Amino acid sequence: MSDVAVAPGSLAVAAAAPPRHGSGAGVRHDFQYRDPAYQSETAIAGMWLFLATEVLFFGGLILSWIYMRHGSRAGFDAGARRTELVIGTTNTAILITSSFAYALGVIFIRAGDTRRVAKCLAAALALGLAFLALKFGLEWRDDFAHHLFPSDPSFPMRGSAEAGARLFYVFYFIGTGLHGLHMLVGIALVCWIIARVRRGDFSRDYHTPVIAVGLYWSFVDIVWLTLYPLIYLVGRG
Amino acid sequence: MTMPDRRETAPQGPLDRATIDVRAEAWRLARAWGALVVLGAAELAASYLPLPRGLRPLLMIPAALMVLVVAVRFMEVRRGPAIVRAFAVAAMFWLIVLLGLGSVDPLTRTDFPVDQPRVK
Amino acid sequence: MMAGEGPVSAQRPVTVEAGEVTGSYLADGHTLKSWLLTTDHKRIALLYMAAITAFFFIGGSAAALVRLNLVVPEGLLGSSEAYNRLFTAHGVIMVWFFLVPAVPVTLGNFVIPLMLGARDLAFPRLNLFSWYLFMVGGAITLWALFVGGVDTGWTFYTPLSTSYSKSHVVLAAVGIFISGFSSIATGLNFIVTIHRLRAPGLTWYRMPVFLWSLYSLSVLLVLATPVLAITLLLVLLERLFHIGVFDPAFGGDPLLFQHLFWFYSHPAVYMMILPGFGVVSEIIPAFAHKRIFGYKFLVWASVAIGVISFFVWGHHMFVAGTSLYSAVLFSILSYLVAVPSAIKVFNWLGTLHKGYIRFDAPMLYALGFIGLFTIGGVTGLWLAALAADVHLTQTYFVVAHFHYIMVGGMVSAYFGGLHYWWPKITGRLYPEMWARAAALIMFLGFNLTFFPQFILGYLGMPRRYATYAPEFQVLNVLSSAGSTILAAAYLLPLCYLVWSLLYGERAPANPWGASGLEWRTPSPPPTVNFIETPVVTEDPYEYPPPVAAEPHV
Repeated sequence: MSDVAVAPGSLAVAAAAPPRHGSGAGVRHDFQYRDPAYQSETAIAGMWLFLATEVLFFGGLILSWIYMRHGSRAGFDAGARRTELVIGTTNTAILITSSFAYALGVIFIRAGDTRRVAKCLAAALALGLAFLALKFGLEWRDDFAHHLFPSDPSFPMRGSAEAGARLFYVFYFIGTGLHGLHMLVGIALVCWIIARVRRGDFSRDYHTPVIAVGLYWSFVDIVWLTLYPLIYLVGRG
Repeated sequence: MTMPDRRETAPQGPLDRATIDVRAEAWRLARAWGALVVLGAAELAASYLPLPRGLRPLLMIPAALMVLVVAVRFMEVRRGPAIVRAFAVAAMFWLIVLLGLGSVDPLTRTDFPVDQPRVK
Repeated sequence: MMAGEGPVSAQRPVTVEAGEVTGSYLADGHTLKSWLLTTDHKRIALLYMAAITAFFFIGGSAAALVRLNLVVPEGLLGSSEAYNRLFTAHGVIMVWFFLVPAVPVTLGNFVIPLMLGARDLAFPRLNLFSWYLFMVGGAITLWALFVGGVDTGWTFYTPLSTSYSKSHVVLAAVGIFISGFSSIATGLNFIVTIHRLRAPGLTWYRMPVFLWSLYSLSVLLVLATPVLAITLLLVLLERLFHIGVFDPAFGGDPLLFQHLFWFYSHPAVYMMILPGFGVVSEIIPAFAHKRIFGYKFLVWASVAIGVISFFVWGHHMFVAGTSLYSAVLFSILSYLVAVPSAIKVFNWLGTLHKGYIRFDAPMLYALGFIGLFTIGGVTGLWLAALAADVHLTQTYFVVAHFHYIMVGGMVSAYFGGLHYWWPKITGRLYPEMWARAAALIMFLGFNLTFFPQFILGYLGMPRRYATYAPEFQVLNVLSSAGSTILAAAYLLPLCYLVWSLLYGERAPANPWGASGLEWRTPSPPPTVNFIETPVVTEDPYEYPPPVAAEPHV
């Protein structure tokens, strides 16, 4: 999404332009934009539009939640009561904090403080990894151990609640799985940003990719904030 | 939504050379983080209320507020060009269309369930 | 809505010292690498055009075999299995690899920056990436179709696709899933470009209707395609792990699939036709040499279609067991979407009224579009009516209806636009007489192929069967005969357009005497599109009366 750097082969202007980092005058931009700031704003807008498409992607999943719960409410909620609320709640706190750490990093890069940026992003990254460890290392492992995977022949629930509970775990595994995939992509992106920060690619004048990846990182947080009540809270009670 | 092209008047965005009050901005983020924690705790506490099954989706309200806080404070949806807001609003509008029109059918349909859930 | 955002100011000036190329984009590098790694929107448009053409003829061959099978009542191929795979191949390729992308990624990619007075799209590398995604998705889908095919129809309805089909559903769905991201990337690029890269003075109401149509189309691409992605993903997961999202035996709901699928696929119909509206809205004023009638109605009709098309998907499910309330709601909303479509038809007719009409090939295609689209649209109202739909759904009436929109409308518009912008794209004029002949033959062949299908459907011949009752044979033979004419008509442009690349007359900058920024730069345009950023000072379609105009080619 960071179309700020000139693509190879598109233009010969890259060789003539001064390096990207450094003072304001040195920030280069593509020939269809009037100035670097305008190009940067455009790239950010593009990222927002991409996130809008993601909203509809997860929207389809939420619609299937409505269908599944409506079709077999008692069983569905019985399934939800077996989820591990402590892990889910801890993970919510972790992701909120991770998103906060990244947003703090964005403030530091605006002030040109690249040393603190690296620290903030490293904290965001560590918290993201902690989330994944809890989610997939602990929670999923337990779920599989308890035969909660929906097509498991020794699924623990029997009788009238069984079909609904299995459906709940369909939603649970698909929802957390897709969110986990987005987390993995986000973690790769944050690593990439940290490497570029270390290389000195960003300054207070040029840091569009930092902001763009931050938007994605916070969006993944938003997805979790939606999944958390759908999985852990609504069915409990 | 008639926003004049703000770049002409006041510099915005990454090239903003005005000094940034890092401390004030950081506090603002910290307050947002606090608000998220409070909202999350309220959501968790509310889930222990004896709500009837049909009303339990109301637990999504604090979640929606948390999403709003993240969008406004961490993602700074109010910063940058007006189309950013337009894109965010469009996403919400079409999400509501998908969920709203999509649930008319199951909520008003008479289902004739299969006899017994098939056990594998 | 966005009208107040204000025009965008000038771009960075290009300098020859910086190595920027001001010569023709076609001469800017002749190596394979200069094409496959290009970020020039004009070259990417040509890459797409090559791919789209190949898909069109592959999908067309499948259709030819379908029509061949239906020449005799018992089915010439003698195998229902093979027949199912053929019409699925035809549908999958034509919908996802021709109709949805055709105009946007070729003509749109080429013309949008030119119409905006911009040097390129907002994200040139994303544009190239989307082509690679398209090719990978297309290759996987073709592979699935060639190693044995899919027998579910292009709609992948559950539980056939998830539990019963023994064909290559997984592979085909993966291919479509990947190419969907190509659509999203293209739509995203167009929206951001139209917002951010308009030339100085180019306000929203000075934009040609083509840009409004493609803007509206792009909104559909970016907001509906993700829902297709999650739908296909759920189908894949259900097929691979038997988890029961759509299987009532596990408490799931097969109608959920249809809701999700049509939330994408009904807007997809408008993804196919909106660019057609845009192309026709350029051609009609150019060849009537007259200002377009009711400009604001036209552009807001495009926007209205884009929005309302999301509210109507339930009309595909009237007989599927949805609730009556839902059916009534979706029926009313479906009637609503006909209003902006009709506004457009009246606007085109109003433009023709008292115009100075020239019947060049693009105009013949555009006029054909108006007539055939109107027939397709009006028969759509029959299908939106609850009672009539019960009789007509799942018959050849539906097949004829959507082919009038897709082939009669959209394919006509694609050929019209291709001929209209051919001189700009290639720098060569095509042979006019051949082109007019092809347009007329296409129109005749099309009607002979598909009009009998309205009657067949009304008489009750069901769609998607390899065999039929003997009393339907005469009309089926007529239809198959028409399809041979149609096939010949499609091969003609392939021949004479390629011929014109080598031997065609050199095109001037503005062979049609048309308005619009794309005609103010040489044919073919330089790599930078405009040496100096143009400044727009007038409304679109400012055509002087022809007495004052210079004589054209």
